[in-house]
Amino acid sequence: MISANYLHPKKTRKMKMKNPVSPNFASDDGGHFGEFGGRFAPEMLMPALIELEEIYKECQQDEAFQKEFFDCLKTFSGRPTPLLYAENLSKHLGGAKIYLKQEGLGQTGSHKINNAIGQALLTKRMGKKRVIAETGAGQHGFATATVCAKFGLQCEIFMGAVDIKRQRPNVFWMEQLGAKVHPVEFGQKTLKDAVNAALKDWITNVETTHYLLGSALGPHPYPSMVRDFQSVIGIEIKQQVKEAENKLPDTIIACVGGGSNSMGAFNAFLHEDVQLIGIEAGGKGLESNQHAIRFKGGKVGVVEAYKSFFLQDEDGQLKETHSIAAGLDYPGVGPQLAHLQKEKRVSFEHTTDDEVVDALKTVMKYEGIIPALESSHAIAHTIKIAPTLPKDHVIVTNVSGRGDKDIFLIAQALKDDKWFEFLQSQLDERNKNE
Amino acid sequence: MTNGLNFCNRNWMKEIKMSKISDKIKSLDHKGLMTHVVIGYPSMAETEETIYTMANAGVSLIELQIPFSDPIADGPTIMEACRVSLENGTTVKQCMELMARVSKKVDVPLLFMSYYNIVFNYGVQKFCEDAKKAGVSGLIIPDIPPEENKDGFYEACDKSDLDAILILAPVSTPERINIIKNNAKGFIYCTARMSTTGSKEDIPEDTKTFLTKLKKTIDLPLSIGFGISKPEHVAFIKDYADIIVIGSKVIDIMNENKKENRQDAIASFLKSILKEC
Repeated sequence: MISANYLHPKKTRKMKMKNPVSPNFASDDGGHFGEFGGRFAPEMLMPALIELEEIYKECQQDEAFQKEFFDCLKTFSGRPTPLLYAENLSKHLGGAKIYLKQEGLGQTGSHKINNAIGQALLTKRMGKKRVIAETGAGQHGFATATVCAKFGLQCEIFMGAVDIKRQRPNVFWMEQLGAKVHPVEFGQKTLKDAVNAALKDWITNVETTHYLLGSALGPHPYPSMVRDFQSVIGIEIKQQVKEAENKLPDTIIACVGGGSNSMGAFNAFLHEDVQLIGIEAGGKGLESNQHAIRFKGGKVGVVEAYKSFFLQDEDGQLKETHSIAAGLDYPGVGPQLAHLQKEKRVSFEHTTDDEVVDALKTVMKYEGIIPALESSHAIAHTIKIAPTLPKDHVIVTNVSGRGDKDIFLIAQALKDDKWFEFLQSQLDERNKNE
Repeated sequence: MTNGLNFCNRNWMKEIKMSKISDKIKSLDHKGLMTHVVIGYPSMAETEETIYTMANAGVSLIELQIPFSDPIADGPTIMEACRVSLENGTTVKQCMELMARVSKKVDVPLLFMSYYNIVFNYGVQKFCEDAKKAGVSGLIIPDIPPEENKDGFYEACDKSDLDAILILAPVSTPERINIIKNNAKGFIYCTARMSTTGSKEDIPEDTKTFLTKLKKTIDLPLSIGFGISKPEHVAFIKDYADIIVIGSKVIDIMNENKKENRQDAIASFLKSILKEC
């Protein structure tokens, strides 16, 4: 079992260093990861960010907090999540041994619950009664709505109007759980605009409200704090691969929107001899200008209170992004990932919408699991590289969420007529009864 | 450098040069009035005309906002104006050109307001140099606190003799007030409430307490903004501040009036405000 005080900075940060001059990948006290990160916030938010940082530091030292967090991960969310040896898929591809870390089997169907629990406990500690959150795919909103119900907190979710349309099942559950979902009607009406709307609400209500940010981005301390709450993923992977293979994995692959599931999976391995690959949303391809490939397509900027890579034009105006997966459809990327990319510790690839839908079909066919479209990006890349690797090469692919939420999108992508007939019949029945 | 933060140390600046902005405010026999435009809204030509209307009405300072796609401190009115301006194709270069044109024609200190990504992308040093050349007296960039000075923004402002205007909010702690006070030049921009920008019905009563508290320790002029939109607001708060800031309200007036009436409507509104200043 994992020790309950794994958040303790001394125990997690002091990793054994193979090479004593290898860089320290954690942030300095100001939240800078090399040139990235920081706290580029308007004055209205500075006191709240400083308070949050102090409370979080306190919690890292507090064993009672660690225990409550860990108990919640276990009993409420269902950790540890299983690591599945994808035997059929591995044999089909004829190369590396593929393991799937099934984050989708936790409460609310994705890794987002880990951080939501951690920050809900912090909210209680700060004595704040109201929680706001942004959400793209709706997984973070859904996770936030559940913890707010559990801990008796008022919950308001900001979600782009476009994302509300494409991720209706999650909106439905958020509302059933008592959350108020605000459609964001400005900008591109997706995740970036939801973050903006949440920040604006926070500026207005900062004294009563905690902003439960769901990704490893935004102003310090969010990138470090969210990573720490998610790092249980990598810690479990390490133990589970050790049990199964008696060694470290050779490669870990995770999709990258802002960076919460990838940093969660990578963090325990930053100082180990393990290849780490982040997969960005290739949308319709790099040349199409309809993608969210921040590293190859973007440049350094300061947006939403942190410095990192952003898709932007010459003047620094953010560009529109596109992905079939709402959770990856975001023009920025977490600052620690930007630093790890610059230090060549994590490499980045992208997979396109079409490759993602194919990968989803493949993994359903061979393994009987339904990953989210976001996670299917990581699987698509796994399918690409596995055949080129030797049979004793162990890949762990983080399946950050399950795909139930995507039923409408996938039905559309697969042009499933029966599904649309069903939808029509539901509507007809409702109209008849009214 | 302490704790990984990159504080700028600029206390020496104060002794070297007075600021054109604070000189102007101190020379007035009434309260200062700072007004605001979003460059390129509703069009570049109307922005220019509006600046002349403001200068002729007798305002003391004008903020020219360079539109940014993601303005986190702005409310719906200014956000929408930024969106329209960007859709019209406004570029930072055009903003510099407009500034250079109008600064030659008006005798009012002008400021650029924008967000740090615009400055950073342009090149921090070059932005400050070009802004100075274009006739700018100060910059209001709300998302570059003194702690984040790694790119040398504050030194670049000093070098180009631009006042980097800092902000204080009702939630600012004594520690924050100290940091801001020690790094401020020109004036300190105080927000009347915890909100984004935009016209509001009234000014909170505790704004007076907030400003009184700041006045005790800060020598620089204090401006008060965020939600001020009526002569009554000015009358209510003017004894506690040195500069009144009117932002979104002028855009509201633009939106409420047909093109041919806009300048007259803005001029008569500013007259009613200045009467109270």
